[in-house]
Amino acid sequence: MDISYPPEAESFRTRVQAFLGEQLPAGWAGIGALPETEREAFRESWRTILAEHQMLAVSWPTEYGGAGLSHLEQVVLAEEFAKAGAPQGSENDTFGIGMLGNTLIKMGTEAQKQHYLPRILSGEQRWCQGYSEPEAGSDLAGIRTSAVLDGDQWVINGQKTWTSAGQLADHIFVLARTDAGAPKHKGISFLLVPMDQPGVEVRPITNMAGYALFNEVFFTDARTGAGEVVGAVNDGWRIAMALLGFERGVTATTDAIRFRGDLDRLIALARERGLTSDPRIRDRLAWCHGRVEVMRFRGYQALTRSLSGQPLGPESAISKIIWSEYFQAYTELAMEILGPEALAATGQPTGGMLQMPEAGTANSPRSWVETFLAARAGTIYAGSSQIQRNIIGEQLLGLPKEPRLDSGPFRELASRRG
Amino acid sequence: MDFAFSSDQDDFRLALRRFLTDKSPLSQVRASSATELGYDVALWRQMSDQLGLPGLHLPEEYGGSATGLLEPAVVLEETGRALTSSPYTAGLLASLAVLRLGSEQAQKDLLPGIATGATVATLAMTELASPTGASALQTTALSRDDGVTLTGTKTLVEHGHSADVLLVSATSEGEVGLYVVQGDAAGLTRTRQDALDLTRPVAEVRLQGTPAVPLGQPGGLEELVDLACALLASEMVGGIEACLAMATAYAKTRRQFNRPIGSFQAVKHRLAEMVVGLDGARAAAMYAVHVANAGGAELGAVAPLAKAEASDAYTFAAGWNIQLLGGIGFTWEQDAHLYFRRAWTDSALYGGPAAQRARLADRIGL
Repeated sequence: MDISYPPEAESFRTRVQAFLGEQLPAGWAGIGALPETEREAFRESWRTILAEHQMLAVSWPTEYGGAGLSHLEQVVLAEEFAKAGAPQGSENDTFGIGMLGNTLIKMGTEAQKQHYLPRILSGEQRWCQGYSEPEAGSDLAGIRTSAVLDGDQWVINGQKTWTSAGQLADHIFVLARTDAGAPKHKGISFLLVPMDQPGVEVRPITNMAGYALFNEVFFTDARTGAGEVVGAVNDGWRIAMALLGFERGVTATTDAIRFRGDLDRLIALARERGLTSDPRIRDRLAWCHGRVEVMRFRGYQALTRSLSGQPLGPESAISKIIWSEYFQAYTELAMEILGPEALAATGQPTGGMLQMPEAGTANSPRSWVETFLAARAGTIYAGSSQIQRNIIGEQLLGLPKEPRLDSGPFRELASRRG
Repeated sequence: MDFAFSSDQDDFRLALRRFLTDKSPLSQVRASSATELGYDVALWRQMSDQLGLPGLHLPEEYGGSATGLLEPAVVLEETGRALTSSPYTAGLLASLAVLRLGSEQAQKDLLPGIATGATVATLAMTELASPTGASALQTTALSRDDGVTLTGTKTLVEHGHSADVLLVSATSEGEVGLYVVQGDAAGLTRTRQDALDLTRPVAEVRLQGTPAVPLGQPGGLEELVDLACALLASEMVGGIEACLAMATAYAKTRRQFNRPIGSFQAVKHRLAEMVVGLDGARAAAMYAVHVANAGGAELGAVAPLAKAEASDAYTFAAGWNIQLLGGIGFTWEQDAHLYFRRAWTDSALYGGPAAQRARLADRIGL
């Protein structure tokens, strides 16, 4: 057993650290330490710097303008960016570069790669994800948004929801039903759709923490070209699942780094209030420390597996449960530590981050209350805790599924549901 | 970056698992635990002579195989899974005390016998008011011209009623150290206890002016407790796997309402939670043993952490195993309670999860 990184990874780490040292503003303490009015400008200019230094599409091959980094180099880079509190791109880049770009590289046509990848990289196109619908959450394959060929164009009708960063996007990848006569997983296609057209309307949804960061997207006879399908027509479910595999990417070791930073903040909060000597608070802080360490150790395991060529499997369901349930537990502890201070909280807000606040955010009661509220989303999005437990039970333990009530042509299911 | 057991260690694990499945089924564990000695002597001879388990980690000069601590951790996982009735764990912890804290003479005297399995050695540290047995002790050591004598009472001494050698923690002039007491020493009263854990015999050991020899210099007992916690976490991982396997197998075959009960989410999700607990405990135990093996100050924080994580996961899994088995799980004949008893015993030994988190809090400077 050996948890050190190979020398070439460490020398790459040194290069990344040097890059960050040179390019981040003097006295850098994280985006959270910038005045709110300067954050957007910083993000824009930082994205430009990353693109110039080939630090943006780090997972893409060099032939498509990426950095062509190995998996281990991507991990090291993500670790150093997380430690420095530096973003690796915008939220739209998560969808455009991390998810769609990698999916196109693996499964797109050459024409799609040549057309889309440079535009994603340059920032000319900003992407968002059209997966969930009001009637298709955990049961994603139950989507009803339809696409019908009309000459050389798809005509799209329906509604997507929980579309993060949709208000900033001009393109959306959409799961649409293209054969309602087929069973539900077999009649879906993966479409690339421009949003700047009359048939697409984006309406913000305000979340329970008071921030409007996700949206509903309505399609009313919206159009995209007949060739804007990734993979084969009606084979979109496979593409959709492959894309979600890229979502998990290299977070295995960075979760622990980011949660460590926020736990240090929580310990400081407790210390400021003289509560680290309270045995009940000490017990719970020590438990939190244990959970974050478990994330670190599991990160080493995941890295070991991926370096030996084993694919990420259903154990990522375990990671999701561990971090999202820990997220709620430690922000609930913050509420206990704050006591009455939490009930009319003051100080710097978070800006609505759905995970931890940006590095450098002041250790304010308000930032903790907002994070506490945001934590409720963690066990719902990207596969709820209940879905994750089904995955563990069925895929890892081989337990039988529940009897299915949704076989047969989708059209009949949809009419049965009304 | 290689944070996993090696393929050799995995092969060793599988061979050992086959051996224990064959030689030590739970029916055999129950029968041998009920004997006066409390373990299967013939099995212990095979574990020692054929497999060389007690000496794996010991230096070659004392008859060991010098493997380091990862192989013993594998053994503990497997004996923890099988609830193997043997003095392996007791001897392992005692030998680590001798190796790390003992004088050269003590090592020469004790380790060769432990390595062959001929000597059954055990730690006698725990007192009712001192779960770790490393501080706040009632047992005292008195030095006189003609030697040292110990007076006090130890509890939960693994194989304490039959061990050849006991390593007893005691206070002398404010310093805690370990002392070697022979099993047939004068003034030694050893009584097997009616233990919660049916598959690991423990004894109360009374010392009344009992002659003893210092193992080495005083001190170092906290580190020894850390080692014990790291290794016990590995043993618990094996137990969690056994509970999970038992409950999963039952959930796949037991039918109610005309379907396997494992298809109900109320059942499936508890099993998934057992997996999540196991996964965290396994990562923490492996890391703690890795640090114990490599040496490093980090052990002081990761050992109590691993022990606490494994305790939480094991007591959860052992409790839910009984619940998922239903009424049959509550019977004496069913094996689920053997794991439940072991889970709560391992959890409490050297301090329960709350005590471990208190130690952890101290060590990370909270």
